[in-house]
Amino acid sequence: MKWSIFNYILALITLMPLSVKASDSQYDKHVKHYQRFWDRLIPRYGKVQFAGSMGLLSMGPGWDYGKHKQWETDVYLGFVPKYSSSDNKITFTLKQNYIPWSLPLNEHFSMNPLTVSLYFNSILSDKYWVHEPNKYPGGYYGFSTRVRSNFALGQRVTYHIPDAQRKYLKSITFFYELGTTDVYVASAVSNHYLNLSDIIHLSLGLKMQLF
Amino acid sequence: MRVMRVKSIIYVSLLFLSSCSNLFDYQPYDGLISGEQNINKTNIARIESACSSKDTIRFIMISDTQRWYDETEDFVKVANKRTDVDFVIHGGDVTDFGVTKEFLWQRDILNKLNVPYVVVLGNHDCLGDGQEVFEKIFGTPNFSFKANNIKFVCLNTNALEFDYSNPVPDFEFIESQLDSVLAANAKTVFVMHARPYNEQFNNNVAKVFEYDIKRFPQLQFCLSGHDHRIEADDLFNDGVMYYGSANIAKRSYLLFTIYNKGYNYEVVNF
Repeated sequence: MKWSIFNYILALITLMPLSVKASDSQYDKHVKHYQRFWDRLIPRYGKVQFAGSMGLLSMGPGWDYGKHKQWETDVYLGFVPKYSSSDNKITFTLKQNYIPWSLPLNEHFSMNPLTVSLYFNSILSDKYWVHEPNKYPGGYYGFSTRVRSNFALGQRVTYHIPDAQRKYLKSITFFYELGTTDVYVASAVSNHYLNLSDIIHLSLGLKMQLF
Repeated sequence: MRVMRVKSIIYVSLLFLSSCSNLFDYQPYDGLISGEQNINKTNIARIESACSSKDTIRFIMISDTQRWYDETEDFVKVANKRTDVDFVIHGGDVTDFGVTKEFLWQRDILNKLNVPYVVVLGNHDCLGDGQEVFEKIFGTPNFSFKANNIKFVCLNTNALEFDYSNPVPDFEFIESQLDSVLAANAKTVFVMHARPYNEQFNNNVAKVFEYDIKRFPQLQFCLSGHDHRIEADDLFNDGVMYYGSANIAKRSYLLFTIYNKGYNYEVVNF
């Protein structure tokens, strides 16, 4: 016996896709559909972002989609050192980006002259609430200390790794964004004392495209 | 070797980026403070030395300056035109959201006052990690200072923001302020953000509080903010007046003068 059971199983797995093609039964279609659905949920890239009102450093996976990959949805976990507050903080961010244009610069580089981002950041701590605790009379503060809405505009440069040199990544993108947060806007709109420069902040990041 | 170099480049650049505190924002509640801290302590030393031999003490009471930066700045300009004021008391709520930068923005405006100022803790200042930031920038929630023979006992009365692990008002602290050896002419003023029978106050002990503070020598009156309107009430019908300052958006402040034989106050609009 040269072939072990393991080899038989391996052969079966290798040949299975062929058999699927040969006979497209309803069952096979359902399996394909099922697999395609879950395939879409595999993160296509990872991002690391410095600052941006969502953490000193945040990282997480994301998905690009649309005809020209002009849409992106990112999720992040961010870290905020405690500084003068009582605890280190972990934050969660859900970020939606729109990238209307992509311009090739040369063989290996391209750029996005504009990115538009809307994102929600939440401090993962019981000290912060979405809805006011019951102890307060109704509508006492009228806002959430936990969830912040952010808006940012940015630009990107992408290096497309040549096929021969690819190991893990397809491309690497550097981006920067200028953005602000709801509480800063609320602070600035009603007076002249605060300028745009007081409420607009810079963030930097890297996007590592897997496929 | 290469990994080491990349690591050190990342480390150095992160260090550089973190030093540009205004360019970057980590999180509105990050507690990252730049600039002056311990304002109350520094200013109390100034008040106590400047007032040490004054028979008449004149001070301004303002409160609730949250998000009203223009009005707060206008107040500072108006107050700086006066030369007859010894110090300013801020009745709390320097912030609206308890966000770190709000504390810094307000501090930077109030720091332009020619005379020293102290700030008591407001309920909005407690939101999120606000209290910790407040304590670093301004000072402890309960404190006191003396302007010659007048003792100002400043209290955290925002009971709604705390639970039983933090006594609010802190009767132990109040007790500790009752000096055993008293000057013959010692007088007392109590300062707080929310006055008794307000929803913030621990009203279960409102009467106990009143009973307690009446033990203090020559209790002049109590000062508060929070209600966003000018108030002058004998809350317990016992002759102890509670004066409330309006929020700064109303463009008014209270001016108190304490003489040897009494005091007077006026509402000044600006």
